[in-house]
Amino acid sequence: MASEREGEDKEPRLPPELPPVIDEFEGQVHEEPYPEHEDDFAEHAELSLPVDRLHPVTLVIAFWNAIRGFLIPILIIFLINRSRGGIPPFVIVLLFFLVMSLIQQVVRYFTFTFWVENGELVTRQGLLSRQERNIPLLRVQDIRVEQGIVHRAFGVADVHVETAGGMGVEASFSVLKLEDAEFLRDAVFGAVAEEKRLRKGESSEVSVEEPEEPELELRRLSSRDLVLAGLTSNQTASTMAILLAGLAFLDDFLPVDFFRRIESELQQNMESIVSTGRSIDWVTIAGIGGGLFLLGIVISVLGAIILFHGFVLSRKGEDLHRSYGLFTRRSSSLPRKRIQVLRADETVLRRVFGLMALRADTAGGNMMDQGAQNEGRNVLLPVISRSELEPLLPEFFPDISKGEPEWRRVSKRAIRRGTIKGSWIILFATLFLCLNKGLPVGLWPLALLPFVYLINVLNYRHFGYVLGERYLRCRRGWLGRTTHVIPIRNIQSVALIRTPFDRWHGLATLVVDTAGQAYTGGGPRITNLPIEEAESLARELSQRAAHMRYQWN
Amino acid sequence: MSLDDTSDRTQQEDEASMDAQAIDESMPGVPEEDFIMLDERVVNLWRINQIIGSVVFLGILFMVGSFVSMAVSNSLIWVAVGWVMIAVYKLLSALIYPPLAYRAYGYRMDDKVLEIRSGVIWKVSQQVPLSRLQHVDLHRGPLERSFGLATLSLHTAGTQQAVLTLPGLEADMAGEFRDELVSIGGDDGV
Repeated sequence: MASEREGEDKEPRLPPELPPVIDEFEGQVHEEPYPEHEDDFAEHAELSLPVDRLHPVTLVIAFWNAIRGFLIPILIIFLINRSRGGIPPFVIVLLFFLVMSLIQQVVRYFTFTFWVENGELVTRQGLLSRQERNIPLLRVQDIRVEQGIVHRAFGVADVHVETAGGMGVEASFSVLKLEDAEFLRDAVFGAVAEEKRLRKGESSEVSVEEPEEPELELRRLSSRDLVLAGLTSNQTASTMAILLAGLAFLDDFLPVDFFRRIESELQQNMESIVSTGRSIDWVTIAGIGGGLFLLGIVISVLGAIILFHGFVLSRKGEDLHRSYGLFTRRSSSLPRKRIQVLRADETVLRRVFGLMALRADTAGGNMMDQGAQNEGRNVLLPVISRSELEPLLPEFFPDISKGEPEWRRVSKRAIRRGTIKGSWIILFATLFLCLNKGLPVGLWPLALLPFVYLINVLNYRHFGYVLGERYLRCRRGWLGRTTHVIPIRNIQSVALIRTPFDRWHGLATLVVDTAGQAYTGGGPRITNLPIEEAESLARELSQRAAHMRYQWN
Repeated sequence: MSLDDTSDRTQQEDEASMDAQAIDESMPGVPEEDFIMLDERVVNLWRINQIIGSVVFLGILFMVGSFVSMAVSNSLIWVAVGWVMIAVYKLLSALIYPPLAYRAYGYRMDDKVLEIRSGVIWKVSQQVPLSRLQHVDLHRGPLERSFGLATLSLHTAGTQQAVLTLPGLEADMAGEFRDELVSIGGDDGV
């Protein structure tokens, strides 16, 4: 199913009925990506780049990469074969590949050229078979600039261009001078804005006279923020959970017995430590557990600092700009209009500290992108405090209504429904235990019933949605919480689902579908809505979406 | 953390919506006759489809069942009884389910939004703003062709529900409907 969908994503999103545009002069068939604008596609924003080829440091970095990749295996082989003497044949094979990859890099450097023409970014490379790729500027979703340590030493950077509907990176420029890389990014996004103005039929003269908007810093993360982020990241939580689960496993999960045993064990251990100086069992286990726990915390704190050191989120006009990294500096920009879904995540631990992470999806994201998490691309802002969200929202969505909204709750039946559901599970657990362990022990799970009720009440109270004029917001969860903000103009479709249980309770689930769910998981599900309300909400959303222009570019 | 930071729903509000729900069982707020039904022939098409599927399924089940029962024990009778029960269930569901599904299926369209509802047990109603349609496929399988029917697949740029299907349309009408949808859908805007 997934592969089918990916396949479709690759195709240009064209209504099938429109005939291809015939260019009168060339007699060639063009595939114009925006058929609704075919009238004025002759007019394009002109753009000249300061460079048309890669920086010479490309060669240095190519050598460095090749040697880094091949040196270690060659050294290992030499060490193993040291006693026999002579050059083992395997090394020759490796050297052959090394030379081949070097030649490939050198050819790429000397043949790679790029320019902007007719509103498209064109790259060309190759000696024997020449590859040419045209990327319509309007389809460019993101231009990422990355600098590793070596790059920083030479003042150069990798540039990756991503497009909507494409599978990740469409074109890579490695490497360019840092200034040129930044110029390329600004120029492309400038040209995109220009192109849009042209297509709207406005004159571009106006825009030139407009004063350049200054870069506005939205949030800078301090080391303290990053330490907090690392401390509360999931790694720590899961370490703790594993430890707790391990402790629970050590006994027959009977509180009285469990604590009595710990007590006696500790006593014995203390005695044995005192008398023989030998530490065993519990103390050792606790020590190892504690050590692992600390190690986990240190690793996640270090990870957060290395990845996000010096994180700055800023906005220049319509573009949100992020740059971060201790060793490898990364920067990327995201036109704020392209945000399809914004999600604020508060995991249990983070909620205790009042922290959240922000994620945003564009239509261009790719769920299979494994590097996204390691490179910090899956979060828009790795950590902010909860109170900062509301003031920040207008920066992402300028037309959002300001101030904490009045969350509307779903049906109170949600409590009853959830409690009944939980009670069934507990009932089965009780039956199972009664049959296995006899009566007094088997009744223990029933003690959880009040908690099931309490949790459902809390979840009900913390679940809410707001239908604003242009945005739908939804939040759920008491322990951990997620909050969605969705521009209604970006809603693709709305579905109302009623399971037999929904109908029994007179409820319905509303599912909002959006483009792009690589990092946010797509739109929210609003469960346990009274059927009347769900019906009118669905109609309202689809009608409003229909009256707004969808903006993925 | 405070518990009362959300506006509370009043009990009356809840009860009111419950009452309204009790009056109109199916789709509240939506007059039944608003929805356009599918072509009636689709019932038999679905029946034949289900029967073909069942025959294949029962065939495989028969082979697996007889193989297992021969290998494990020789109580062939119980396997046979189980198989017959499944076969009867399949036959009954092929007879009873399609008319129910037919009655549940429906679509309606105003100038901006297409709504498709379906489902006998899991009731689903999908609403697509027409300007969000990316492309529309018309599909006609061999069985569908013999019935003179067609299926429309509506694609949006969405993710979980990127494809909506509308089966059981009369073939000529499906083509016209497709053209209509595309002409409205192409105009992405206000």
